[in-house]
Amino acid sequence: MATASKSKRTKKSSAPAYVPPKKLPISFTVNGQEVSTEAPAHTTLLYLLRDLGFTEVKNGCEAGDCGACTILLDGLAMNACCALGVQAEGREITTVKGIGTVDNLHPIQNKFIEHGAIQCGFCTPGMIVAAKELLDNNPNPSRQEIKAGIAGNLCRCTGYVKIIDAIEASAEELSSKKGKGK
Amino acid sequence: MRGFDFVAPTTISATLKAAKGRSTKYIAGGTNFLPDLRHQHDGPAKVVIDLMRVSALQGISSSKGQIKLGALATMTDLLTNKTILKEAPILAAMSEKFAGPIIRNRATVAGNIVDGGPAADAVPPLLALRAKVRLASEKGRRTVDLDKFLTGYRQTAIRSNELITAVTFPSPGRNHKWGYYKLARRNAMAITVVGVAVVLKVRRKKVEEAGISLGSVTAAPIRCYEAEKILEGNVVNLELAQKAAEACAAVATPIDDIRASAEYRKLMCEVLPRRLICQALDISQDNE
Repeated sequence: MATASKSKRTKKSSAPAYVPPKKLPISFTVNGQEVSTEAPAHTTLLYLLRDLGFTEVKNGCEAGDCGACTILLDGLAMNACCALGVQAEGREITTVKGIGTVDNLHPIQNKFIEHGAIQCGFCTPGMIVAAKELLDNNPNPSRQEIKAGIAGNLCRCTGYVKIIDAIEASAEELSSKKGKGK
Repeated sequence: MRGFDFVAPTTISATLKAAKGRSTKYIAGGTNFLPDLRHQHDGPAKVVIDLMRVSALQGISSSKGQIKLGALATMTDLLTNKTILKEAPILAAMSEKFAGPIIRNRATVAGNIVDGGPAADAVPPLLALRAKVRLASEKGRRTVDLDKFLTGYRQTAIRSNELITAVTFPSPGRNHKWGYYKLARRNAMAITVVGVAVVLKVRRKKVEEAGISLGSVTAAPIRCYEAEKILEGNVVNLELAQKAAEACAAVATPIDDIRASAEYRKLMCEVLPRRLICQALDISQDNE
């Protein structure tokens, strides 16, 4: 705290002129849509996506602890807060809206609604993306495996039981659909 | 840290060239880099170099009994790579306990090492496997033993603008015994209270070579040389396992913090190595 008051004192008289940071061009795709923008190198992928209007990517902790900003980058789940926007150049990003739309919900999204797995809803976009990756890698997870699969996605309403129920039910639906398809 | 340049080269030589003469920070998975940036735990840098597109740093390979983890090998790679699952399963067991799945997809082994934290989970198993760190800079390449690379609390032997290119270790062999335990307050996304790794090469019931290491109880994870010596060349029984465990506790210098007391950690530095050695060698522990 001592340093804070010190910088306050010195700031007034000799603040250096503000130089806006240089912007770099960035292009990538989000949910199949091509996006071109520019941003300073220090902009996180989370801020970049939200500023572009992809506000379904939630800003929770900005430190990789909460999973609210979970997205798929080239199909791999990650925290958008833990990458620089410029690192996404040329990559394919999928948010929860790329998994299913309001008119055409993905079975995971349907099961979240059916099971009341959404309370305040803040963790839901990240939780569904994490569940998607889990079920892609392991179509028939045990409850224990589901718990391990969503470790790192925090629900501050603590509605985990219903979230786990919903993922369990989506696994059943997805694998039965797949069976019929064959 | 604001207003830095950013480049994303695709080769090691282009990376080193971009770093030449400029204060540089390297970024890969970003799971330490960005929280540090946000919490302003980082020093200033003129340029940030993204390593994610350098193909020579990718992959896990095995040749002539040496296993090589490219600097971009992630924790998820350790959980899914066939060479690791077959030849060094201790690394997969560690990875399973490392943070959560979405962090594991991005967090690299090399990043975990170079961050230099006392609770770096990848380090104790790699110390027990006698890993070496391969480094490259404009001035040339060198290889440093992992235990010499870690020099103190968040301090490593890395030089300015130097880059980890790979982590290597000899395959402990198909019949080695091992044990890993991460003592923490929850099952995921936890900072380790005590981490213990044990790798034992056994031939005709004798321990030929032992690797034992502790994490989170010293300024940087350490190898327990005394404990290793107690086991090596012997048919290990409960008494010897106990002696080795005491030697482990002797080198631990834990601190009190919000996760556990120093006293508890010190005690666990004896209990956990003994348990892991006994479990690995099928020694019954009457007192547990």
